[in-house]
Amino acid sequence: MTSSDRTAFDAEGYARQAAALLDLPLDPAHLPGVAANLRLAAQMAALVASRTLAPEDEPAPVFVAGRDTP
Amino acid sequence: MTAQATAAAIRAGKRSAAAVVEEALADIAARDPLYNAFTDVTADRARREAAAVDAAIAAGRNPGPLAGVPYAVKNLFDLAGVTTLAGAKIERDKPPAARDAFLVRRMQAAGAVCLGALNMDEYAYGFTTENAHDGPARNPHDRTRIAGGSSGGSGAAIAAELVPLSLGSDTNGSIRVPSSLCGIFGLKPTYGRLSRSGSFPFVASLDHLGPFAHDTADLALCYDAMQGFDAEDPAQQHRPVEAVAPLLREGIAGLRIGVADGYFARGGHPYVFAAVEAVARALDATQRVTIPDAALGRAAAFLITMAEGGNLHLPDLRVRPDDFDPGTRDRFLAGALLPASWLVQAQRLRAAYRAEALRLFDEVDVILAPATPHAATPIGQATIAVDGEERPIRPHLGVFTQPISCIGLPVLAVPMADPAAIGTPGGLPIGVQLIAAPWREDALFRVAAELERRGVVAAPPVPAG
Repeated sequence: MTSSDRTAFDAEGYARQAAALLDLPLDPAHLPGVAANLRLAAQMAALVASRTLAPEDEPAPVFVAGRDTP
Repeated sequence: MTAQATAAAIRAGKRSAAAVVEEALADIAARDPLYNAFTDVTADRARREAAAVDAAIAAGRNPGPLAGVPYAVKNLFDLAGVTTLAGAKIERDKPPAARDAFLVRRMQAAGAVCLGALNMDEYAYGFTTENAHDGPARNPHDRTRIAGGSSGGSGAAIAAELVPLSLGSDTNGSIRVPSSLCGIFGLKPTYGRLSRSGSFPFVASLDHLGPFAHDTADLALCYDAMQGFDAEDPAQQHRPVEAVAPLLREGIAGLRIGVADGYFARGGHPYVFAAVEAVARALDATQRVTIPDAALGRAAAFLITMAEGGNLHLPDLRVRPDDFDPGTRDRFLAGALLPASWLVQAQRLRAAYRAEALRLFDEVDVILAPATPHAATPIGQATIAVDGEERPIRPHLGVFTQPISCIGLPVLAVPMADPAAIGTPGGLPIGVQLIAAPWREDALFRVAAELERRGVVAAPPVPAG
């Protein structure tokens, strides 16, 4: 899928399948809103993906095994 | 009356904290129905706290720098004995909080008196405070318009002068957006500066807490009172208390100030850029700086927000989705379903974006940028034309704030003193973001105080009636 057709994916079908995997019942009445938000998220994900990252670009949150207290 | 003047009068014995609190409670009872800022008024607590301040003064003890100063908190802060609503119907079933949030304890230790809890977008997911359960917070400058969000009650309570200080939270702009729309001062400190323990979370990666006030001196007093280490917030960094109140008369000599261009010079109504230019002129700031990849940073914050928020609320989404505000429910549902790779990529991009953005502070100390793309819109309006394109108001209000909180930079939102002069519709308020490097709140307060002295920024008066 290219970035230009990110919002053309089957958002409702994806939502149904992913929700089943999460044991999340989806009311059919909520599905259009969920799909619209997934399409918007897909646009944002395409923007994020447009930037090439190097292997050394680690995720921002850094786990700390223990904290010193002052 | 300002927090500073109230505390001075009480400390000098010219007024009692008890009298101040009774006056404030009566004022809230009379005028809050106009604004719908408060969701709880904690009168008994306020009277107890005021009595303790008066007793301290009578005994010759120091009552604290905020002696007897009334304040209120966004209703996601724990207040002992009060159920923490976080703007949600779902939380109304929960027991009252057992103890105060850390920042509320700090405020009490400084002598401040808590008058209650304030309206907000459900679970802080919004920029308009059009809460389906509690009703909309109303903008004191025009009660048919939004106060901004998600800390809309906190903004409205300050603009309406129901209290001189309030506390809010900011994940993507929720302090800065209401500050801009209500014409007041708001501080989103550096990520990790102030403890968040005892507040209802939204997006742990991005959540900040901070104060609102009517002027820079009050904002500084409140911020200084809340600093301090708390072992219970895993994101808080070990920092000494770095008081800003003593710096307000230092001026701006030696500070290098730049104006954000590119992303921050489009996507808003012309007067928001005029506001930035007016502030730049007052500071003699001519250097332009480009915050690289701001649009990508906003996109990363958007995905992190959806994913963490959706995960946080998954248990309730499974069993009682119809109890959510329709304005937030579908976003949380969708957020719970995002592919893991999108989230991880967003967090990786966030780190790379931060590294590039921090390099700008080799050249400048403070960056000026718009706070919101437009002034307050009518309650219920869903879209607005920007650059000839109809855009949804709810997400677009954060277009200039979201890229900055994504990387945790401290921001002080300042209100234009004369918004009509820069062409806002009907003279509605508008704010400007002052942005600094991590831990440089000192520079922000010095610039804000200087702008205040020069008459460029101030909370504009609320129209009578």
